[in-house]
Amino acid sequence: MIRARTFTDARQQAHSNAELNWWVFMRISGLILVFLVLGHIYMTFIQVSEADATFDAVVGKLANPAWKFYDWLILSLALLHGANGARYSIEDYVRSRPGRAWVKGVFYSVVALLFAFGTIGLFSI
Amino acid sequence: MYRGREGQWAFLLHRLSGLAILAYLLLHVFSIGSFMFGERFYMAIHHTYDLWPFRVGLVFVTAGVVYHAFNGLRIIVMDFTGAGVAYQRQMWYGVLLISAASFVYAAVSLYPRLVGGY
Repeated sequence: MIRARTFTDARQQAHSNAELNWWVFMRISGLILVFLVLGHIYMTFIQVSEADATFDAVVGKLANPAWKFYDWLILSLALLHGANGARYSIEDYVRSRPGRAWVKGVFYSVVALLFAFGTIGLFSI
Repeated sequence: MYRGREGQWAFLLHRLSGLAILAYLLLHVFSIGSFMFGERFYMAIHHTYDLWPFRVGLVFVTAGVVYHAFNGLRIIVMDFTGAGVAYQRQMWYGVLLISAASFVYAAVSLYPRLVGGY
């Protein structure tokens, strides 16, 4: 994990190219997610009351391919961003090496299954 | 700059809100994605989510997402400009203010649902 305040520091601290790429990915995906997720909250939570979020409303909205793509972009970026953030936490707080391997293995499996579940759900309409 | 000061609390809150949002996201993808099993299954999950801890949780999730988003912008500004580091404390108090405002806004606009359910 990189503890740096600037890109130059991050490049010096990174043990591998992959670690530096994740550091950059967190900034870029975070910036994109700010707009995607705040827009999603606004449109589904404030503009429309939750009482309108019925089964038919969800199916009807997702019939539009633009919303499919929008939601899939949130799904994939947010899961990657969140999984990598959780990986930082796991590496910081799970001290034993076998413990870390188990926690990561179970956690990555859950995330991968849910990504498949969400993708199939989105494109099955 | 960090230990015991604003930077440390900003870091801790960023982590906690991030993990909380991730937990919410996992539940959210599962509950919305479950519509492919039909309306009955979908509504069974949504009736569970109508319990009061989940309704109150919506307010915290909204404020948590806003905190994580704006603190993330603060981190990006710190990482890529020199001036950002000098003003990181002031920016953090701004982030807290925006988060508190969105907490209040979400609580007010969700009030009927908080007390009444769907």
